[in-house]
Amino acid sequence: MAGPPKKRQKRDDKPDTQMPQKKFYRQRAHANPFSDHDLVYPTCPEEMDWSQHYPAFTATIPAGVPKDDPITTTDWDDHYLHPRITQDVEVADIGCGFGGLLFALAPRMPQTLLLGLEIRTAVTEFVQEKAKALRIQQDIASREGKEQDLVPGQYQNLSCLRANTMKFLPNLFQRGQLSKIFLCFPDPHFKARKHKARIVSAALNSEYAFVLRPGGKVYTITDVEDLHVWMVDRFEGHAGFERVGEEEVEGDVCVGVMRGETEEGKKVERNGGRKFVAVFRRVADPDWV
Amino acid sequence: MDVDEIINKPSRHPYQCIASVTKGVQSAPNVYLLAACGPRLHSDTGKDEPNGNDEGERPAKKQKTGSSAPSSPNIIKLTVSPDQQHAVAVTDDKVIHVFSVGLDGALQELSERAMPKRPCAIQVLPDNATIICGDKFGDVYSLSLLPKEPSETADATAGARQPQSEQPQPTEQEKPAFKPSATNLTVHTKRNLKALQAQQNQKNFSARKEPLKFEHSLLLGHVSMLTDAVFATRVVEGKERGFIITADRDEHIRISRGPPQSHVIEGFCLGHKEFVSKLCVIPKTDLLVSGGGDEELFVWNWPEFKLLRKFDIAGAMFDAIRGAKDAGKSAVEAAENAKELQPASEHGGKAISMHRINISGLWTAPFANGKGHTETLVLVASERMPALFAVPVNRLQLKKRTELTDCVLAHPPLDVVSIGNSVLVSLDCRSDDGGPLIHVYKLKQGPEAKGSILFDDDEEMMHKLSCLEKVQAEGKFDDKKLDDLLYGVASLRKRKGEDVPRVPHGDDEAEEQAMGVEGYGQMPKGEADI
Ligand SMILES: C[S@@+](CC[C@H](N)C(=O)[O-])C[C@H]1O[C@@H](n2cnc3c(N)ncnc32)[C@H](O)[C@@H]1O
Repeated sequence: MAGPPKKRQKRDDKPDTQMPQKKFYRQRAHANPFSDHDLVYPTCPEEMDWSQHYPAFTATIPAGVPKDDPITTTDWDDHYLHPRITQDVEVADIGCGFGGLLFALAPRMPQTLLLGLEIRTAVTEFVQEKAKALRIQQDIASREGKEQDLVPGQYQNLSCLRANTMKFLPNLFQRGQLSKIFLCFPDPHFKARKHKARIVSAALNSEYAFVLRPGGKVYTITDVEDLHVWMVDRFEGHAGFERVGEEEVEGDVCVGVMRGETEEGKKVERNGGRKFVAVFRRVADPDWV
Repeated sequence: MDVDEIINKPSRHPYQCIASVTKGVQSAPNVYLLAACGPRLHSDTGKDEPNGNDEGERPAKKQKTGSSAPSSPNIIKLTVSPDQQHAVAVTDDKVIHVFSVGLDGALQELSERAMPKRPCAIQVLPDNATIICGDKFGDVYSLSLLPKEPSETADATAGARQPQSEQPQPTEQEKPAFKPSATNLTVHTKRNLKALQAQQNQKNFSARKEPLKFEHSLLLGHVSMLTDAVFATRVVEGKERGFIITADRDEHIRISRGPPQSHVIEGFCLGHKEFVSKLCVIPKTDLLVSGGGDEELFVWNWPEFKLLRKFDIAGAMFDAIRGAKDAGKSAVEAAENAKELQPASEHGGKAISMHRINISGLWTAPFANGKGHTETLVLVASERMPALFAVPVNRLQLKKRTELTDCVLAHPPLDVVSIGNSVLVSLDCRSDDGGPLIHVYKLKQGPEAKGSILFDDDEEMMHKLSCLEKVQAEGKFDDKKLDDLLYGVASLRKRKGEDVPRVPHGDDEAEEQAMGVEGYGQMPKGEADI
């Protein structure tokens, strides 16, 4: 679903340096997470070519594949011959929408690779286009010596991928690869019958635990109190997580950004609503019993 | 075929699931075969049978699952506890039936438990007390083999054949009133408000699902459609540990710890490009064989999540199709029937019929090696193909191009079970009154290539089982319904573009219908933009 031809043409008309306009990337709000969607995704994390997303982080010397890498020990077709990058993605914004959180967070952690994951094609493209435009603007500013316009990282450390995270998270990330996962204003799916479509569940929390390293955190925020209670119940009830105390939460810059910079967060602000925040820490796997 | 032939065409209901139970002392065991025929479960011995005279032949014991309603639910899964004391059958009305198996092979139904979704995999754990059950919706549950609450337990001593269902449907009054899960006070964005209003405006809310009224726990879940789940053990840190290996339609194989730590995912075996439909853990090794819609079988070192090699099952299948000619008319017919119609959208505007791999069974079975010693091999079936493919376990890891041996059968194999060194294969020979419903083989290493396997008929065992040939499903059965019961694997394949709504973009309601999303249809356009 790339949008009707007219919208698409308008999107294409803009010069590279100009920011994309949201109105050309609007898309119906809900995509069924159970459908196949003709999604494109890597078979396994090794197959993913991240250099397309973070070209500034492409390894300059062709990185030798380590000897113990399963790829080198296979003797048939699947060799993943693509450029390597110097570090792994560490922060994932799941259901990132138009990417407000990412664009605010990236300059605050310029040494860390951030990835937005979004199931809607047009919305994903918006974030990608915006990142591209910002990078070019930064390039120009840098060439013209406009120091005051430069932001740390110059937006080279953020990207966005179309993905159904409820099915394909393990295709993208290795065990323990991530240090932070954001779940900002997830779709509430009010009906009990639809709770399986919620992005937080006992079963999915096991996958979040798998891709998070011990000590890593899941950040949640919502304007729906009931969903907040649900998410807290599901994470507190999962042996892989513990809730982070209030003091630590309030001291965390990421929480402030999450409250103030997400598109949904801003809307709630305008409507004078409440925002419910909860953060959970990934605890180490228990010893075998 | 002339009209007369069609009218008089014999029809026999095949055995869709078979299993064996071993009873008695180790030195002189009695082995009973359990065979599911539509809604019925038969048990009969492969031993002790006086040769052939009709008087002495023991009739197969019948045990019908479920009620005697006109259309009784069909058995879709059958398994036996490791200690051989219990048999567990799943019927297509989502009910798990537990039977005790007597010393004489007689079955006695002990309990019926209705699961929330249709089970697709079931196993009794080595503790002989726990069942794990995976359902299509993606969830894996554990429940005790024998229901715990005394009131819920069917009274086996009273010989209750039809114990009360443990999950009675709630009556109208019992249904809890639906309560929307958010109030106007707790919703702040316009979008969420609209969604809530849309929901509140809807009239007939389905009530929250009644919790299952028996002890059970959710062990793990996939959002993708679950296709198989197996329990495997392995020594970790000097102790035997349990693992649950699950497979799904989205190409994943997941390794989780066994209960009570099943929330810990240890890793994934990723490499399949099409759905995974079957898993087979090779006993006493770290090997896992997986298959599905790919043209190859995958062999894994599962504790290390490492792909060891693949086997070209498509190549073996084409050999089998060629070989079908020598195997006679019915094999040729069956091979032809195994073709799938590919929609035009997949083939540049022209629908075509072709063979595809849809792995429907993976089993381990015994065979005699060159020295006459018993070893283990893996048997493979692809849905509707009248053939079995074999590869010895000790060749699974060889990097060299060991090929799969194919054995062309007269009809498609449905299930396989081993009794001693005999390999019993249940066949879909509904249209053929000549061939046996259960064909028995003895397998041995072939003389030529090292990995090749010969399938010899086991006449003796086939004769012993002849009583099962006489048991028929009562009444007529519908070919189409039987197909639905026996052949569900091919439908797992994803079709390009199939679930992308083919409606004008922006028509929210039509799109939602096309995508199966309800409840947000009332949202005005333009509001739904974040
Ligand atoms: C209400 S929006 C929130 C957007 C953003 N996080 C914010 O706070 O402004 C929820 C987003 O999650 C996306 N989403 C829902 N299910 C998803 C899934 N399974 N995988 C990826 N994204 C998903 C939706 O498309 C939508 O853009």
